Amino acid sequence: MTTNLPSFQRYQLAFTARIRDPHNQPPLEGVSRQRMAVYEEIVFNNLFESVSACFPVARKVLGKRAWLMLTQAFLREYSATSPLFRKIPEQFLEFITNPGQELEQSLPPYLTSLCHYEWIELFVASTPAIENNAENIKPADDLGKYQPVFTATMQLLNYEYAVHKISPRNKPRQKESTQLLVYRDADDNVKFVELNAVTFRLIALLQQESITGEQALTLLANELKHLQAESIIQFGLEILKDLKNQGIIIGVRH
Amino acid sequence: MATTSQIQGVGLGLKRELIPQIQALYGQDQLANINFVEIAPENWIDVGGKSAKQLDWFVERYPIVCHGLCLSLGGLSPLNVDFLRQVKKFLHQHSIPVYTEHLSYSTDGFKGTQGYLYDLLPIPFTEEAVHYVAQRIRQTQDILGQRIGVENASSYVAAPVSEMSELDFINAVIEEADCLLHLDINNIYVNSVNFGFNPHEFLRGIPGNRIVYSHMAGHYQQTPNLLVDTHGEDVIDPVWALLEDAYQLFGTFPTLLERDNNIPPLNVLIHEINKIADFQNKELQRTATTKKSVATSAG
Repeated sequence: MTTNLPSFQRYQLAFTARIRDPHNQPPLEGVSRQRMAVYEEIVFNNLFESVSACFPVARKVLGKRAWLMLTQAFLREYSATSPLFRKIPEQFLEFITNPGQELEQSLPPYLTSLCHYEWIELFVASTPAIENNAENIKPADDLGKYQPVFTATMQLLNYEYAVHKISPRNKPRQKESTQLLVYRDADDNVKFVELNAVTFRLIALLQQESITGEQALTLLANELKHLQAESIIQFGLEILKDLKNQGIIIGVRH
Repeated sequence: MATTSQIQGVGLGLKRELIPQIQALYGQDQLANINFVEIAPENWIDVGGKSAKQLDWFVERYPIVCHGLCLSLGGLSPLNVDFLRQVKKFLHQHSIPVYTEHLSYSTDGFKGTQGYLYDLLPIPFTEEAVHYVAQRIRQTQDILGQRIGVENASSYVAAPVSEMSELDFINAVIEEADCLLHLDINNIYVNSVNFGFNPHEFLRGIPGNRIVYSHMAGHYQQTPNLLVDTHGEDVIDPVWALLEDAYQLFGTFPTLLERDNNIPPLNVLIHEINKIADFQNKELQRTATTKKSVATSAG
């Protein structure tokens, strides 16, 4: 197939193949190995730094050697589709989510959760926050009667592992269901909040459907088969008020 | 709407480390020679949060030029038209009058998609490559509705399949694509050492009337005959001499300092900005004096 290409493109293909996999691809004919090594290094180092900067914990947990091999595999096997530099970590995350059987077996089962947790901070810090129908948002004076509106940068996260506690000294031995909320505050700082399962479910209900605070809490009380729905509603309204005070709920829709 | 004519004097490549320093010293005499700033669209398109606010701050205060890194004019994958539309929107949104790219490639079409390698790889200098690249520049200009500048790229490996010199390649591409030249003075020097040619002779072969603006930068000397274009060191004297020569040959043109690694504090970096301004003033004075003496002798 490649024989149909013009000579300059056949050369380019051999050139990039060597950059992607200097250990297995042949050196280019008539090209200095030392000169070619400059490209092999700058391309890999550039990618390595972009990825490593976003995943400092994953890098430490895996260890130097395994991290190096994983980033080499990323260059060798993944075809990046975004020209935007800040999307490199996101593409790395996609790569390790489906890295092929052989590589997958060598990676700890919590790695993708951990990397997602590390990446989401970058994502929330830089995502453009565009409120849908911002003109319809009213001040949040009655969160029970109206439909609470969450800040556009909010992400509700459900992990199988306690990702926020992982470190080289604390590698998870078992699953531990973990719910987190992350958002960007008014000063553009990224904040993480650990949620209990009930609060997580409440926010999820409010996100999924156009319902009022009280309607969501009634649904929640039913799900919990709670005998005193009224106490759930009171408890839940306090939670919503608290979310409002943190700037996570920015208003209501009538 | 900003116009190309607002891009004058001396510029500085905008790095995140420098942003708070520029903001703190804005309006003071010591920054007087920073007339415009350059950003890579790949770092700023579609950003929110702190970065968006920083961008707004600069857009309000400085003329801005966009210097791309990933358009991949010589790439093996189809030109990324969706990305170009984003660039167009970005230029328009922030009234950015100039967009330039490298005469290089950063994609290999790996596994049937773009295959970004996020670096600048050297295009072999062949007749077919001239037509290929020129066609992609024309396509880019059609989509953007404006001419772009292409930058002479630094490189470390000479392709055995090349059929012509770098200078012939640049001239042929610019002629066929009818685009502008983004002249990188340091890259001429880097390549002159890496491939053994005379940089001053090279300068005499470029289409000077197509220069939109130029770059100055430092590089890393890996071995005596291998320079790596790191933008991580001070500009060296032979590169300053090359800039002076270029001003004498073509008249002054806007010139921007790139410093991407090992970045000193702004109050140190500013010396190189001021030095560029000094060369520009010197050339303007020289021309004025020459004109005056011509007028005197004619009178």
